[in-house]
Amino acid sequence: MPNKKSVQLILHDLRPDAAADILPPSSARRLLFAASPPVHRCVGCFGCWTKTPGKCVIGDRGADFVALLSRCGELVVLSRMVFGGLSPDIKAVMDRSIGFILPFFRHAGGETHHAHRFENPPDLRYVFYGEEIADAEKETAKKLAAANSLNLGSGRSAVEFYQTVRDCAEAFA
Amino acid sequence: MKITCINGSPKTRRSASARIADALSAKIGGAAECVVCGAAELDRGEAPAAFRGSDALVFVFPLYVDGIPSHLLRFLDESLHDIAEAASGATVYAVVNNGFFEGRQNAVALEIMRNFAARAGLRWGLGLGVGAGGMIHAAPVGRGPLRNLGKALDALASEILANQTGEDRVCEPNFPRALYKALAHAGWRKSARKNGLKTKSLYAKP
Repeated sequence: MPNKKSVQLILHDLRPDAAADILPPSSARRLLFAASPPVHRCVGCFGCWTKTPGKCVIGDRGADFVALLSRCGELVVLSRMVFGGLSPDIKAVMDRSIGFILPFFRHAGGETHHAHRFENPPDLRYVFYGEEIADAEKETAKKLAAANSLNLGSGRSAVEFYQTVRDCAEAFA
Repeated sequence: MKITCINGSPKTRRSASARIADALSAKIGGAAECVVCGAAELDRGEAPAAFRGSDALVFVFPLYVDGIPSHLLRFLDESLHDIAEAASGATVYAVVNNGFFEGRQNAVALEIMRNFAARAGLRWGLGLGVGAGGMIHAAPVGRGPLRNLGKALDALASEILANQTGEDRVCEPNFPRALYKALAHAGWRKSARKNGLKTKSLYAKP
């Protein structure tokens, strides 16, 4: 089993043919999770906190994401840019991932946040693609990555923008 | 004047968003026609038609992972042009509630809604970030720990009726943060017991 820090998890919303072209192959150190076709949406039941702690109660493949997240040192999210944030398919996976953290609160930077369930949560790297992304949307995306990183991850985040899916290959070169 | 309020919670009952949407509708009262749409209408694709002729669209939803719940995001993304056409000329407002104490933690979701309005070619009104959504059923809106929320919704209702724009605002309960945290923790432990789990089990690493 490779060291957790060396494992990268790539969550993406590409079609299978595009994923095969753009993404590096999966391996022991590189895990891939396709957000499309979409997983069932979160229904806000908090079962992942109070019924089956750490695992979503909805029985589709979306319930497997937290276990992968707990094994990686870096989460790379490759997403179509939608209004300065993640695409609906990616967001459905992320919404189903709150079992990764605990329901209990901690304080950080004068704010309440959820405590971590797992030691050494991953760094976050967001790779967005989209034609004519507005400057305001880029600013929102940077704030989103920072907020997600504070709540789900290590507090370390990076954001990149590309115009097309094909351009995103550079992010994995 | 027609105001369409969209409840963006995926929950079918007792959601904080439904409570806020109902309170806001009551404050708008007889001053305007106020229609409330929920997740079922969004799923069935009926919402854009319901938006037709609206002077204001008011999106009320819970904060999910610092953003918009995926089903509402999917609706906004897939129906962008239908919304823009049906509600052309409408002003967009948003009320986001979270489980953290601080209302300011809704700021990114409000920005996403502002960006949606820009993409739809609709005018952005303002956003309200509501903290401590877990307290929403603790008292009538406007009473006890929800006095600040009552005032914030009074102001928002007036601004919507006057078709005003403004700066985004936040609202927190009339309640100590430390006590909110203690009650929240007690609530999670109680939920665990109801499900036959010990507190220790809540920390499981499956």
